[in-house]
Amino acid sequence: MPILKDFRYHAPVGVDEALALLHKSKKPLLLGGGTFVLNTLKKTAAYPTDVIGLRKIASLHGIRDAAKEVTIGSMTTLAEVASSPVVGEHFASLAGAAACVATTPLRHMATIGGNVASRFFWVDLPSVLMALGAKVAWAGDKAKKTLSVEDFLSLTGPEARGIVTEVLLPKSGLTGVYFRHTQTMEVDLPLVAMAFAARRQAGGVKDVRCIVNTTLSRPVRLTGVASYFETKKVTEWKADEAADVLRRDLEQGKLDDYRLHCLCADLESLIDKFKKA
Amino acid sequence: MKTVTLDVNGKVFCLDVPDGELLIETLRDRLGFLGTKYSCLEGDCGVCTVLADGKNVLSCLMLTVEAEGRKITTIEGLGQKDLHPIQQAFIDEGAVQCGFCTPGMILASKSLLDAHPSPTQDEVVHALDGNLCRCTGYVRIVNAVLSAARKMKKTP
Ligand SMILES: Cc1cc2nc3c(=O)[nH]c(=O)nc-3n(C[C@H](O)[C@H](O)[C@H](O)COP(=O)(O)OP(=O)(O)OC[C@H]3O[C@@H](n4cnc5c(N)ncnc54)[C@H](O)[C@@H]3O)c2cc1C
Ligand code: FES
Ligand code: FES
Repeated sequence: MPILKDFRYHAPVGVDEALALLHKSKKPLLLGGGTFVLNTLKKTAAYPTDVIGLRKIASLHGIRDAAKEVTIGSMTTLAEVASSPVVGEHFASLAGAAACVATTPLRHMATIGGNVASRFFWVDLPSVLMALGAKVAWAGDKAKKTLSVEDFLSLTGPEARGIVTEVLLPKSGLTGVYFRHTQTMEVDLPLVAMAFAARRQAGGVKDVRCIVNTTLSRPVRLTGVASYFETKKVTEWKADEAADVLRRDLEQGKLDDYRLHCLCADLESLIDKFKKA
Repeated sequence: MKTVTLDVNGKVFCLDVPDGELLIETLRDRLGFLGTKYSCLEGDCGVCTVLADGKNVLSCLMLTVEAEGRKITTIEGLGQKDLHPIQQAFIDEGAVQCGFCTPGMILASKSLLDAHPSPTQDEVVHALDGNLCRCTGYVRIVNAVLSAARKMKKTP
């Protein structure tokens, strides 16, 4: 007995060809690395009629380094992101986060586009990309546009039908950090995670972005924590004060004590890191 | 149905497969490469590991139609004459108990050693993070990979 029910598989070689297939198929499904979606197909009742593999679209692969930004093709694997010298040099927190996703064989298959486009709450990369000010290049049914990660994640219904073609990262000189906590093993899904990025300047920081990622909701921007760090000198930062602000930021978030405890510990490490630097 | 040309262990196979067939099904049930095992089918355990262009991937999460154009290696493709040094090291170090995880472990190790011939212990542990051993013989498995790395360096 076959593991998957059958469907028609297509392997377009261009984005427009893929969009046309997406448009004309009854129940289409895009296939990136397949690590998530093929698992889902083993369990779902809402079965696709057509699976559109993006693997053969050459323009979706690879990392391009330009003067002001780095562009990562959506079909670039997480292993490629994690080991890229360019990503490591300019966006160390992204390289580090990509290296933590799942396991080695899954990182050899899973793509950055699939990670973002899955729109699952708990996946690792959207919060890191938000902290780094990344944008998503999106080829929708009607138009091609560039969206912030937040705007991309909030697309719904027919608007959300389309293809992530690239992730664009501005070289803005931010220092990024990513913390992630799992229930038992390191390779487990993150129960809670925090992505932080800021620009260092004399005695302090500016452009602070602090994003929390959980299994409970889309990534949440901690505006109170960001302004706490921005308005004080690094030497004045105090872990207990920052933790109080974090609790206020997350009042609506229904986070349990364990998750809150993890995040407060992360703030402590973060402060320590900036004070030592 | 699609007609696919698959390169498995250096041999080319031309097959008609349903579009939704997974690589693990083709390898085991059509081509008889039984070293690739079925277990969780969810990407958790690694017993279905094969190499695609030298990198360890999970054949339970790859469509056969997507394997076209890649060089697939199963455990049967290693040591076709003599045992591969990694296979020998697994025997010498007593890293095989029931053997169910062994093909996946060996292929994941090959992927690592081909890219990083002198890994540290931590790098070996990290590289094998997608392979579970239900007999829990991890210490000997890691020792076997480190020992294979040393031997492979001496005899290129
Ligand atoms: C055992 C296991 C552990 C995992 N652990 C983690 C983890 O720790 N952290 C984590 O973040 N994730 C984890 N994942 C989830 C998943 O593997 C990753 O999120 C992965 O990055 C998804 O990428 P993919 O290319 O495989 O996506 P796919 O499975 O191919 O697709 C995912 C979704 O995105 C859509 N899609 C794919 N590419 C595009 C595109 N270019 N444009 C538009 N839509 C697209 C698909 O239609 C589908 O809805 C895990 C998965 C497994 C099986
Ligand atoms: S059977 Fe493929 S990972 Fe378990
Ligand atoms: S030796 Fe039995 S599962 Fe590993």
